[in-house]
Amino acid sequence: MVTPYSIISPLTQVQIPRRLPMQGEVLVKLTEFVEPTQVIARVQIPPDFRLVNLSETLGVEPKQIKPYLKVKIGQRVKAGQIVAERGGLTVRTCRSPIEGTVTAVGRGRMLIEAAPTFYELTALVPGAISEVWPNQGAVVEATGAYIQAAWGNQKETFGVLKCLVKTHKQPIRVKTVDNSVSEAIIVGGGPLNEDILAAAEEVKVRAVIVGSIPASLILRAQAVSFTVIATEGVGEVAMSPFAFDLLKSLAGREAAVCGRLSALWPVERPYIFVPLPGQAPLPPNPESRLTPGMRVRALRMPYLGMSGIVEELPQGLIALETGARVPGARVKIGDESILIPLSNLERLL
Amino acid sequence: MAEEHALDSILVADCGAVLTKVLLFERVEDSYRLVAQASTLTTNNPPWNDLSIGVFHAVEEIEHIVGRQLYGSARIITPYEAMKGVDAFVVTMSAPEPLRVLLAGLVREMSLESARRAVTGTYAQVIGTIMREGSLVSPEEHWARTVRDLHPDVVLLVGGVDGGAARPVLELADAVRLGISMIDQGQRPEVIYAGNARLASRMARLFENVAPITVVDNVRPTMEQEHLGPTQEALERIYIARRFNQSPGADRLMEWNNAPVQPTALAFGRLIEYLWHQEQALDRGTLGVDLGAASATVAATFDKRLFFSIRGGEGLVLGPLQWVEKHGLETITRWLPEAIPEDEVLAVLHNRRIYPWTLPQDPHELWIEQAVVREALRHLMAIARPTWDTGKAQLYPELMPRLDPIVVSGGGVVTMPRPGHVLLAVLDGLEPVGISRIWLDQNRAAPALGALASISPLAAASALNAGSLVSLGTVISPVGRAHPGETILKIHIAYDDGGVLDVEARYGDLEIWPLLPGQSALLDIKPLRRLDIGLGPGRGGKVRVHGGLVGLVVDARGRPLVLPVNADDRRELVQRWFWDVGG
Repeated sequence: MVTPYSIISPLTQVQIPRRLPMQGEVLVKLTEFVEPTQVIARVQIPPDFRLVNLSETLGVEPKQIKPYLKVKIGQRVKAGQIVAERGGLTVRTCRSPIEGTVTAVGRGRMLIEAAPTFYELTALVPGAISEVWPNQGAVVEATGAYIQAAWGNQKETFGVLKCLVKTHKQPIRVKTVDNSVSEAIIVGGGPLNEDILAAAEEVKVRAVIVGSIPASLILRAQAVSFTVIATEGVGEVAMSPFAFDLLKSLAGREAAVCGRLSALWPVERPYIFVPLPGQAPLPPNPESRLTPGMRVRALRMPYLGMSGIVEELPQGLIALETGARVPGARVKIGDESILIPLSNLERLL
Repeated sequence: MAEEHALDSILVADCGAVLTKVLLFERVEDSYRLVAQASTLTTNNPPWNDLSIGVFHAVEEIEHIVGRQLYGSARIITPYEAMKGVDAFVVTMSAPEPLRVLLAGLVREMSLESARRAVTGTYAQVIGTIMREGSLVSPEEHWARTVRDLHPDVVLLVGGVDGGAARPVLELADAVRLGISMIDQGQRPEVIYAGNARLASRMARLFENVAPITVVDNVRPTMEQEHLGPTQEALERIYIARRFNQSPGADRLMEWNNAPVQPTALAFGRLIEYLWHQEQALDRGTLGVDLGAASATVAATFDKRLFFSIRGGEGLVLGPLQWVEKHGLETITRWLPEAIPEDEVLAVLHNRRIYPWTLPQDPHELWIEQAVVREALRHLMAIARPTWDTGKAQLYPELMPRLDPIVVSGGGVVTMPRPGHVLLAVLDGLEPVGISRIWLDQNRAAPALGALASISPLAAASALNAGSLVSLGTVISPVGRAHPGETILKIHIAYDDGGVLDVEARYGDLEIWPLLPGQSALLDIKPLRRLDIGLGPGRGGKVRVHGGLVGLVVDARGRPLVLPVNADDRRELVQRWFWDVGG
């Protein structure tokens, strides 16, 4: 089986896909250079609307409603404005419940739509447009440091990286999350906890990058206004030393952090990207096979998040504690040499 | 289509949501056999974005195994010539995203329930329901907003028996039309109308120039009748057009293919139907359960009729977090033999979504995944069983009908390290009654055989008989009550090689006796205390049974299976069952 991979690279060329949530308008052209905050596509968000039941309120048959209308299709109306009225002993009136435009009248009802709003998609990273998907988005080709992560809270941002810990196993200490990291992207090694989230919210950081997130914190992390990324996954494990050392070396630089995550259709993975000048090697070849000497990361407990170097690909099958016998690799993690199933490894490129 | 007589080697690819599996069947003397198989990651997502690349990866491995070139000039080489290629290539697919269906109808328990059942006939998921029940202040506005905001692929509009009330259905249709008209042209859903037949032409006019509409027979023509076929066909046509044909690389697979690309579930169902026709026993059905990562399929046949339930987005990877949200974590933790912290259980479920191709390496994670399989089976049965017309196979209304054989397939099942674990999960999840053979689709051959049958029924039957599915054994599950530890069955086992064994089964226990794969034996079974092994209360008799990787099993734990309420007692019991089937 082809071994999947994650990129943890100090300098590489990446293709960052930027896709609208629904079909809209793409504002950039092929080869155009874009800045992180530049809007590259936008889509009109379906506006609020109200369906006013004129027939019922006025007590008039739907087919006879026309003479009672006080507004025309296409006309703008204010909230509370009379849109239809029937005189007589008792005056009956229909008022617009919202500010908007009358877009349709039929079957005794009036449709009033509020002014549309737009969702704007920024480039997030600086680079050149390498592909345009008509009505859907574009791909930005950029050069820099790139770290693919495991979990994210669906939000994204751009800001300055600040590393708050010294080792890849160390969680962020709450007292370090003060006003000095306001508007920054903060990095810690160990798992996230409730106190870090609260402090980060208080001082308004732009993003928190940690090794892992406990399952009990997922809902809370999805509700905060800033981006949260766990490089290794869900649980309480440390960040990969490869990822941590790279992030630490990039402290002080501007980074794009994307927490978009989806399973299967289509797969979207969170990432951290730091734009850097220079000539980057070509993107990695997804077809390359696992060989001794390659950097790998374990994807299941008890080794989840641990990274090391492949020492050997033993012939035959390896026996697991569960009783399974599967193809595996011997991986050097720290001072230990561990057998891990091939299906539980990913290459780090 | 290739001529059947010329097919000496057939390659079958199954593109699942996570893994792509390729199997090579070849004629060896007079029968077809599975000679090689390989699996690899499905490649419809970045960095590949092309399903055919995954097929190529797996074919490369098969070339290595059989020492023959199968792929050349950017395609599968067909027909076989000069020691290269195969005679035919067939593809099944479950990789694409399920259709997103919005149901619109009048009464939850009537037409909407029928519509919901119709949706289970294809890879689709119900993303919302709008109905006339309830006390909404402005229902039309609410309905229109739901249609617009959920942005479905299909709105399935039902309601009213044929010739019945028209106005409520029309009001609902008006709101659906309004909601659709607020979605941009080109992104609008298709509408299937399967309600009151009297309104068919009015519906066609109502949606003209707004959305494509297909008018089919009413799913509920009368209060008592249900008629799902035409709606299911319409949904399948939309699935093929909107999902199948749009999958990246699907066009190339279709070019290589010797038959139309088939949905995996349909191919799987065809095999289950064939198994029933092999014996044509009216007093029992055949059952197949395919637990994929993204979707799950139940196919059952009773008295020639095939019943399907496909649950898009409810497979072993995508499903569990939804059930936990709906029914609580206890649905999973009640099957664990040790107390495991909730956070640890949830972490396994979340990480499986991130890395769905991985295997449990730690015993705790294995137990959690096996608990998920049990719960998935129970959940699927609860949905599928009401749709079955089981006839004479149904001995007791509240229990499962008699099923033989039962085929289990799918990544989460075949990767269990011990055959006993699979068998126990099947018994806990399905609770079969009477006598059943349990077959494990270890090589993902079941959909392949179903697909094979579309171009060569002879090859499919031959490969099935040559052992493409692995037998776990025969299970006897008596129905009735007794005191724990009390003897309920006396069995005289006469092995075909001349050996005999006299054994007893006690109520509450799982008993296993040796009966190897390929071996068979004649059992003389005597039930005590009016327990029923499918032959009637207290009735015994002679039954020929076949062996498997686990053996001959008596599941005397009672039906329905009852777990102790006390957590410690429950864990102790679950642990004991694990030991009973081999640890």
